[in-house]
Amino acid sequence: MDDILVQALIQGLLIGATYGFIALGLGIIYSVSGVINFSHGDFVTLGMFLCYSLWSVLSLDPYISIAITLPVFIVIGAVLYRYLIQPIVGVHMLMIIQLTLGVSFILQNGLLMIFGGQPLRTPSAFEAKLLFVTDSVILRLTLVVAFVVSLILACVLYWLLNRTDFGRSVRAIHQNPRAAALMGINVTAVRTITFAAGFGILAIAAGLLLPGTPAHPGMGLRYTVITLMVIILGGMTNFFGIVLGGFLIGVSEAIGTVYVSGIMGMMMPYAIFVLMLLFRPQGILRRAS
Amino acid sequence: MRSGALKFLSSPVFWLIFAAAVTMPLWLSPYYLGVATIALFYIGLALAWNIVAGIGGQMSLGHSVFVGVGGLLSSALLLKLGINMWLGMVIAAAISAALGAFIAWLDFRFRLSHLSFALITLAFAEMGQLAAVGSEFLGGASGLFLPPDHGSLLNFEFGGQRGNFYLLFTASLVCLIANLVILNTPLGYYLRAMRDNENAAQAIGVALLRNKIIAMMISAALTSIMGTAYARYSGFVDPYQFAAPHVTVEVVLFATIGGLGTVLGPLVGAGFLVVFGEIVRGQLGGVLPGLHFFIDGVLIIVVILLMPRGVVSKIAEWWDRRHAAAPENPKIIAETATRT
Amino acid sequence: MLEVSSLNAGYGRVKVLDDVSLTIKRGEMVALLGANNAGKSTLIHCLSGLVPPTSGSMSLDGTDFTGWPPHRIVELGISQVPEGRLIFPQMTIRENLLLGGINRRALPDRQKSTDYVLDLFPRLSERIDQMAGTLSGGEQQMLAIGRGLVAQPKLLILDEPSLGLSPLMVQLIFRVLRQLHEAGLTILLVEQNLNLALAYASRCYVLERGSMVLNGLSSDVKNDPRTRKAYLGL
Repeated sequence: MDDILVQALIQGLLIGATYGFIALGLGIIYSVSGVINFSHGDFVTLGMFLCYSLWSVLSLDPYISIAITLPVFIVIGAVLYRYLIQPIVGVHMLMIIQLTLGVSFILQNGLLMIFGGQPLRTPSAFEAKLLFVTDSVILRLTLVVAFVVSLILACVLYWLLNRTDFGRSVRAIHQNPRAAALMGINVTAVRTITFAAGFGILAIAAGLLLPGTPAHPGMGLRYTVITLMVIILGGMTNFFGIVLGGFLIGVSEAIGTVYVSGIMGMMMPYAIFVLMLLFRPQGILRRAS
Repeated sequence: MRSGALKFLSSPVFWLIFAAAVTMPLWLSPYYLGVATIALFYIGLALAWNIVAGIGGQMSLGHSVFVGVGGLLSSALLLKLGINMWLGMVIAAAISAALGAFIAWLDFRFRLSHLSFALITLAFAEMGQLAAVGSEFLGGASGLFLPPDHGSLLNFEFGGQRGNFYLLFTASLVCLIANLVILNTPLGYYLRAMRDNENAAQAIGVALLRNKIIAMMISAALTSIMGTAYARYSGFVDPYQFAAPHVTVEVVLFATIGGLGTVLGPLVGAGFLVVFGEIVRGQLGGVLPGLHFFIDGVLIIVVILLMPRGVVSKIAEWWDRRHAAAPENPKIIAETATRT
Repeated sequence: MLEVSSLNAGYGRVKVLDDVSLTIKRGEMVALLGANNAGKSTLIHCLSGLVPPTSGSMSLDGTDFTGWPPHRIVELGISQVPEGRLIFPQMTIRENLLLGGINRRALPDRQKSTDYVLDLFPRLSERIDQMAGTLSGGEQQMLAIGRGLVAQPKLLILDEPSLGLSPLMVQLIFRVLRQLHEAGLTILLVEQNLNLALAYASRCYVLERGSMVLNGLSSDVKNDPRTRKAYLGL
C-alpha cells in the first residue's frame, strides 16, 4: 500500500481517538441534560490558551498544566450548568442553542481581545520528537501520547458509566429522568457533576492537542463542528458509536488533506453529516446505550 | 402584542421616528449614514429571518446561503453574463426561494427535530460558503467587484451613498411590511400555531408542509433581496462576508435579543446592536478587537436568562405596568387608551 | 404514619387537587380510588416530590416533607412504583434493581434486598441479565415493584399496577402484594380497577375531580352510592 496513505491512515486514527474523547464529553452532557453546547470547541481553545498562559507565566509544559486546568474546567463546568443551563432546562432547545452561541461569542472574542488574532505556539517537552514506526512511517510523539491518553481515559469513562452507581445514575437519567428521580437519584447533582466531568475532558484534550498546534481564538469552531459530526455519527449517545465516529472523522480528515479533491472534498463531511441526520439519526451502530 | 405593534406604528411617536429615519441623509454625517445603512441591512435580515424563526419557530442557521445567492449570484450574472441587476435580483430571489422550499420540505419529510433542523441548516450554510469560495463564476475566494455607481436607476445604480441608503431603507421596509402582513393574515396564525405545538396544529387541520414552504420561501427571497441590495451598496462582494455562516449567527443574536416573534423585536435588536457594534468597533476596534461581539454574547445570555421574550417585550411589559398603576389621572388614561 | 393535610396542587393555572387530606397508619394497605383524571396521579406525584403542592402539608412519621426534592423523599422512606412501570429499558434487570437501592438508606443492604426480591419473583431471577426493555408487561411490573422494594421503603406507593396486564399476571402481582402486606409493609395502592382495589385493601379513599369525597372501610365504600357516582359520574 501507498506509504503516504498508511501514514495518513495512522495519523487519522491517532487524532481520531482524541476527537472521540472530546465528543464523549459532549455526549455524556447531552445524554443527561439534552443540551448541545455550541461552544464546546471554544472551550478546547480556552484550555489551550490557559496552558499557553501557564507556560508564559510559570514556564509549565502543557502536559503539566493539565493538572491546573483540569480542576479549573471542572469548576467552570459545574458553574456553567448551575447558573446558565439549569435555569432553562426544559425550555426550548432553540434558547439553549442561542445561549451556547452567546458563550461561544464571549469565549472567541474574549480570547481575541486578550491574546490577539495571531496563532501562538506553546513549546512542550517532546513536541519535536518523532516516532519511527517503519522506515517511511513517521509519527509525532505528541500525537501518540494524545492517542494513548485519550483511549485510556475513554476506557475509564466506559468503566465509570457501566460499573459504578454514578454511571448507572447517568444512564438512568438519560433513559428516564422521572423514574431516575423516583429511585432517589439527585438528578440535579448528577447533571452538575456530568457537566463538570464533560468540561474536565475538554481541559485534558486541550492539553493533549496543544503541543505542536498553534492556537488562535477562532479555532474553536472547527472542533465544535468536528464534535457535532462525531456525535451524529455515533447516534448522539452510543458510547462505541461516538468512539468509532471519532476514528472515522479523524481518518477521513487525514485522507482528505492528502488526497485533496477540491471543493467537493471539503464539502463531503458536511454532506455525509446531513445524510446521516436525515437517514440514520440513530448513528452508525445499531444499538443505543 | 401585534395589535400593540400596529397601534405603536400608527402613533405619533412612530411617525416621528420614521420621518427622522427617512431624512437621515440630510442630517447624518457620511460616516454615520454608512453605519445606518449597514444597520438597515441587518434589520432587513433580522426581519426576514423572523418570519421563519420567530413566527414559524424554525431555527434556520442557513440563511447566509440566501444572502450569498442574493449578493454573489446577482453580481456574477451582471459581471459575467451582462444580465441587468434588477433581473438578477429577481432570479437570485427565485433561486433562494427554491432552496428555501427544499429545506422546508426536508424538515417536513423527515420530521426533523429542532436540533436536527438547526444542524442541517448550519451544514448547508458551511457548504454554501465552500461552494461560493470554490466557484470561479461566483468570484472564487477573491470576490466580485461591481461596476462603479453612475446613478443609472435602470442598471440598479442608485447614485452613491444617499441613493444606497434609500435602497436599503426600502428593502428593509419591505421586510417590515412583510412581517406585519403575515402576522395579520391566516398564514401568521398557522405559523404561530405550528411554532407552539406542531402536532396540535396538524390535528386541527393546519397544512404543515404548505405553510412551512411558504414561510421559508418568503423569508429566503427577502433575505436574498437584502443581499443584492447590500452588494450594490458595498460595491465589493466578498464571499467570506456574504456567504458566511457567521452572518446568520449575528442575525440570530440580534433578533433574539430584541425579541423573536414580534415585529419590533428584530428591528430594534438589529438596529441598536449594529449601530452600537459599529461605534464600538470604530472607537476601540484597534485596541480591543471583537469587543462588540463579546458584548453581544453577554447580552444574549442575559436576555435568555432574564427576559427570554426579548428586550422589546420586556420594555412593553414595563410600560404597560406603569400605565396600569395610576388610573386616577385622566391625562394618563387618555394616553393609555391610544397606546394600548 | 403518613399524614397529608389540606393539599392543594395543580399544573400552572389548572388546579387539580382541592383541599385533599389523607392518613395512612403503619402496616395498612390503603387504596386510592377515583375515575380517570380525578387527581390520583397528581396526589401520588406530590407525595413523591415530583409535583410541588401549592399549599398544605405532608409528613411521614412526624417529619414534614412538603416541598422536598424527590431524592430526599425516597431517602426518607417513600418509594413509588410509577404508572407504566418506567423501568430503564437499556439496562439489565440486575442494573435496574441496583438502581432501586441507590439511595443512601438502602445502599448498605442492597445485596440482601435484591436477593429478597429475586426470591419473591423467580421469573426475574431467571432473566437477571436480560435487557429490561425486552421483558413482557408483567415481567416489567414485577421488576418495577422489585425496584421499589430494594429501596427499603417505609411506604410503598403503587400507581395503577394492574394496567395493561393479563388477569393471570394481575393475580400473581397482587398475591405478592398481599404477601408483602402481611409481612408488615405499608402500601398505598392507586387503582382504577374498583373490585381489585376493594378486594385487597382494607381502607379506601375516593377522589372525585380533585376532592376527597369518601373514605372508609372497603366494605362500606363498596356499597356507598357515592363511590359509584364518583366513578361513573352519575
